[in-house]
Amino acid sequence: MNSFKICNATELWQRETNLPSVATFSQNLDNMLGTAGVQLGSITELLGLPGSGKTQLCLQLCASVQIPKELGGLDAEALYIDTNTHFTISRFREILSASLLRCQNILEEPLQVTEDEALDKLHYVNAFGLEKFCAFMYMLPKFIAEHPNVRLIAVDSISYPFKEGISTKQRTGLLFRLMADLQRLAVENQIAVVLTNEMSTRVGLSTGAVVGSLGDAWAHRCNTRVLLSTPHLHTDVSDGTHRLALLLKSNVAASSVAPFQVMYEFNVVGTDNDFKSMLGYAMGVGSNGSMTGCKFAF
Amino acid sequence: MITMQKLKYLSLTHLSESVLKRLAQNHILTIIDFLQEDVQKLSTLTKLSLSEILSVRNEIFTKFSAPLINGTTLLSRISDTRTVLSTGILSLDSLLNGGIPVGYITELCGLAGSGKTQLSLQLAVNCARQDTNTILYVDTKGDFSAIRIQKILDANGYSHKDMAELMYKIRVVHIWTMEDLLELFKSVKNETLDIAHLALIIVDSLPCLMMQFIGDENKIGLNLLNTLVNYSRFIGNKFNVGIVYINVQTRWIDNDILDMEDEQQLSSSALKEPAYIEKRNRCLGRYWQNIPAVVLLVEKLEDSPAEKDSTQIKVTVINSNMARNVNSQCMLTLNAFGVT
Repeated sequence: MNSFKICNATELWQRETNLPSVATFSQNLDNMLGTAGVQLGSITELLGLPGSGKTQLCLQLCASVQIPKELGGLDAEALYIDTNTHFTISRFREILSASLLRCQNILEEPLQVTEDEALDKLHYVNAFGLEKFCAFMYMLPKFIAEHPNVRLIAVDSISYPFKEGISTKQRTGLLFRLMADLQRLAVENQIAVVLTNEMSTRVGLSTGAVVGSLGDAWAHRCNTRVLLSTPHLHTDVSDGTHRLALLLKSNVAASSVAPFQVMYEFNVVGTDNDFKSMLGYAMGVGSNGSMTGCKFAF
Repeated sequence: MITMQKLKYLSLTHLSESVLKRLAQNHILTIIDFLQEDVQKLSTLTKLSLSEILSVRNEIFTKFSAPLINGTTLLSRISDTRTVLSTGILSLDSLLNGGIPVGYITELCGLAGSGKTQLSLQLAVNCARQDTNTILYVDTKGDFSAIRIQKILDANGYSHKDMAELMYKIRVVHIWTMEDLLELFKSVKNETLDIAHLALIIVDSLPCLMMQFIGDENKIGLNLLNTLVNYSRFIGNKFNVGIVYINVQTRWIDNDILDMEDEQQLSSSALKEPAYIEKRNRCLGRYWQNIPAVVLLVEKLEDSPAEKDSTQIKVTVINSNMARNVNSQCMLTLNAFGVT
């Protein structure tokens, strides 16, 4: 039979610290997560109402995974599993080129990568509906074997395939099986998994009626949960892009709040040489404030 | 199966070769055959006296019945071996009458994000701190964080050498299915997997494996859980190991439906505000509910944090084989220094 790989905590520590996390390009968020970004080998869930920036953050992470090794990045590829047509390539292109431009500015030399090559490092899967989603998850080990440089899997969103056609009990069972397989893959191949999840209402809960969908058992399954808030449009200081992220659950860091922004304007890049000092700034950078491809509720 | 055992291998006093041969000719081969046969008939067949046949029967019974142990022996056995494993947290130890009971199953349950994993990481650290104790941490959802352990040790002023030594004694294994967990426990039980000085097994968490069976019509999950419980008890007893399982709580809302009579009595005022009752439920089904010897409920307190960056955790004994500590509580602090 199979022999079990038992490692001691010292070995694991070396393994965990050997590879960098996937940075979010927002120092506040990175600090909040406690591991300088999204940890490899663990499942991070992004929760929030529509327009809170879940997809934007996913896209940013898909770009961040390409940060070159010279800057302490992973220089790797990303897999984006889209279950609800959230993905827009034009927005991703904006974020990607802005991220690469920033890396270039820090390095003070042109990167050895063209835009096409960079775009090739994103693998997009369009998995609408439960059957397609499950079928793809089943094929995932094969895909990872063929693309060993994938270091990030984003599922946007996890709850969508389960919206109909399945009972609650079956859903829980299926989700736990899928997640066990997914995380085995993530731990063995050192891949970060980011899931987005919608909010749902449960009237009568002591902790507030608005909670992440898929129930309490599901809340137990993810290693890290981050709640994103929608922009505060009416506050004086805000220009409509200030958002808050709240760390609901983590195995490393204490729960805390971090402000961050989703950027659209082409004015931040080039003025700052160190993205590590960009406090809460700049996730993606768009052209002239046009909200290309953004699906926001406001 | 004991009852299927052949008579000829037992070397019972009165059953000589010739007697066994005669029995075999009459298709009396196993213990069960012998015991079920009429005594009178056996006597005629074997040419043994009735009392001799009865003494053979008694011999079989004494040989195979569970042994009798008197109280004194039991007590001395307990005082010779370790009975509890200190948690390293004073208030928690006194709550548990000294620590985690050895040889029994202990459960930590609570809502998602209530601090179960943090508490179990701390248990692993504190247990590894004592003597040569080795801990087996069974991780079923990738929640074990060596970085967190290193941070806790660092905050407590450990040198790098001490850290490495202590962390070496925490063994981690990733398990993704119930079948694999059983395989692991089986190899621990059969000593094919040898972990020197094993003192504590932590399974974080069991629902992650068991919930994979939810929604199936069959009872495969329950079957596996039963086997796991048996293995756990065996391992706990044989190797003097404490076993901690992490369980999760879920909430459901009862929308209080009033009876017709009540409705008339309460009139309109009560009806304006429907009564929602939040109920909490330990997962893993009804079979599991009474399996653990000790059940600890972990709750995170949201109100009035004493200091910044620290959280209060309330631990309550909700079930225990020592009836006197049920419902007693203690408060723990979760911060950069771990759980204290």
